[in-house]
Amino acid sequence: MKSIPKLIRRFTSIMLLSFILIIILNIVLLYIYTSNQKPNSSPWETAEEVANSLKYNGKEYILPAGILLELESSGIWAVFIDNNSMQVVWHTDNLPGTVPMSYSVSDIAHLVRGYIDGYPTFTGETGNGLVVLGYPQNSFWKHMWPSWDYNLIANLPKTILLFLLINILLVFIIYITTNSNLLKSVKPIIEGIQSLPLKNHVYVKEKGLFQELAISINKTSEILKSQDRQLQRKETARANWIAGVSHDIRTPLSMIMGYASQLEENTALTDNTRQKAAIIVKQSSRIKSLVNDLNLASKLEYNIQPVNLEKENITTIVRQAVVNFINMDIEHQYPVEWQTAGNLNTCFVYADKNLLKRAISNLMQNSISHNASGCKIYVNIIAEKGYCTVIIADDGTGATKEQIKKINNSPHYMVCDENTTEQQHGLGLLIVKQVAAAHNGTFTVSSSPYGGFSASLSLPVV
Amino acid sequence: MDFEFLKNKRLLIVDDEQELLDMLVSILNTEGFNNIATAGNVKDALDLAESYKPELAILDVMLPDGDGFSLMEQLKQKGSYPVLFLTARGEDEDKFKGFGLGADDYVVKPFLPKELVFRIMAILRRTYKNENPHVKLYGSEIDFDRAEITKNGEHIALTAKEHSILSVLYRNAGRIVTTDSLCEAAWGENPFGYENSLMAHIRRIREKIEQNPSHPVSLITVKGLGYKLVLKETI
Repeated sequence: MKSIPKLIRRFTSIMLLSFILIIILNIVLLYIYTSNQKPNSSPWETAEEVANSLKYNGKEYILPAGILLELESSGIWAVFIDNNSMQVVWHTDNLPGTVPMSYSVSDIAHLVRGYIDGYPTFTGETGNGLVVLGYPQNSFWKHMWPSWDYNLIANLPKTILLFLLINILLVFIIYITTNSNLLKSVKPIIEGIQSLPLKNHVYVKEKGLFQELAISINKTSEILKSQDRQLQRKETARANWIAGVSHDIRTPLSMIMGYASQLEENTALTDNTRQKAAIIVKQSSRIKSLVNDLNLASKLEYNIQPVNLEKENITTIVRQAVVNFINMDIEHQYPVEWQTAGNLNTCFVYADKNLLKRAISNLMQNSISHNASGCKIYVNIIAEKGYCTVIIADDGTGATKEQIKKINNSPHYMVCDENTTEQQHGLGLLIVKQVAAAHNGTFTVSSSPYGGFSASLSLPVV
Repeated sequence: MDFEFLKNKRLLIVDDEQELLDMLVSILNTEGFNNIATAGNVKDALDLAESYKPELAILDVMLPDGDGFSLMEQLKQKGSYPVLFLTARGEDEDKFKGFGLGADDYVVKPFLPKELVFRIMAILRRTYKNENPHVKLYGSEIDFDRAEITKNGEHIALTAKEHSILSVLYRNAGRIVTTDSLCEAAWGENPFGYENSLMAHIRRIREKIEQNPSHPVSLITVKGLGYKLVLKETI
């Protein structure tokens, strides 16, 4: 499950990013909002301005008409309280009747902090009195006790940061808990999907958030399994069928071969008759090797043939196969030249001894089958570039370029999945190809330098 | 070398196909075997073995009332003689099972009569070789029992290695034996790297058995592959 930590990393980074974005957004919004408020945001300044503009001409106080108009249009009233008499000595015309005309010190202290009769009040000082502006009711909310612990203000940046951090932490915890719960329920689903291609039987518990997904995965696994089973059954049936036929054909064929070869050796018969018996023996032998090849080829194709790979000396195996061949060649029609370098006595490969021996004798048999009148067979083993290559060549009739290309490239009719009636080459070479594949090796054919056919089987050296 | 006496050995053939039994009897009679008994199933085979005391049994694996492998085990409890399987079951596992249980050879049908006779003779020769330990070559004689060569009236002793090499060559007389097989016979498992030693031993054997060791006629070299022992009289 490599994807889980990756997912968590991804979630976390998305969250961090959203935090940063939210903070930036808030700062921007705050700035825009407060900057719009600026023109009418400071009634204290207006009060100061009124105080500065209020002039005494010896008889009465006068406020310039412009400012007065501005105040009245905003519904603001103003009074001027004299320092000495504590009486209102000047006021605007729109002064509500409920506003008192004389003030004590405590009244002054109260109106500076708060309201007069529900009107938020703001003060501006002059040399000899106090200007008080009364804004319309509910136009301002005043903080009446504007005092904080000094440390609180001093530590404010730290405190804000701390609060921010605690907030972030809280959100993180909420985020991770919900996400890990989600991931926990996704995990079996992901595991199920991941193990589907491995052909294991997959079962995901059908409960939780993703119940439907789990059910689908289980169904898919069932279908895959049953398809696999059916395919396996079909292939086994096919291989068994071939094995059965080749088994049943053996006993009758034994009798044909047995009696025919008795007739061949019966000196009481005419040469002509014995010759015919010899042909029956020879053709029966061909059926025999065909039956053997068919069985092995089908088993290799459907992976039913056990391949027991062990560390083997390829020289020993080839030498034994060649010697068996020479020992069987009673008429010496097919002389063998062993060309392997004298010092190459060992070349180890991982191989199934019997299959490899079979492949080598198939290659020699191939030379015989195509050269009824005899030919010389050259056997060579070369070890180079991490591969051990066995080359079986002959000086017989050989094959055309087209035929060689076909053998190297097109599939045998037995393993061809297209409709074909054309026989590309014998089963013997198919087996060599299959054996090469089972050993992680390669098999190629070409024209031999001696004029005939040449086949190379390469296996990786241990 | 006279092996005719081996053809007087009592053979027991068990197969459920009567026609195949008839053919085998006919072939073996033609080859000179004259003591042959046949049975079509396990029960008859066991009964027959009691009275007939076979010296070689040829068994099919699939029989109507049992299988050849267990028949062999039962037969071997009653007497010690070689067993050759002759069967249509050609799978490697079957062969390994047969050999694992102590079979002396395993022939898969269909077979050539010559091949079967050769294998029967090989088993008989291996089993009953002590009855005739003298081997005649062109120019000398080998006495495997006493591990010595008689050449020009002179007795020459064989070393243990020379004896085992010659034994393998003799068991496969007339056929090539690979250098690997010979090394394995003389030096056992993992016989790689003994090729030069083998050549030295072959040279010494030639000095003992050949009239002219530089022009051998009995122990022939097959270049790159192995050696072949040629007997004075072939089978």
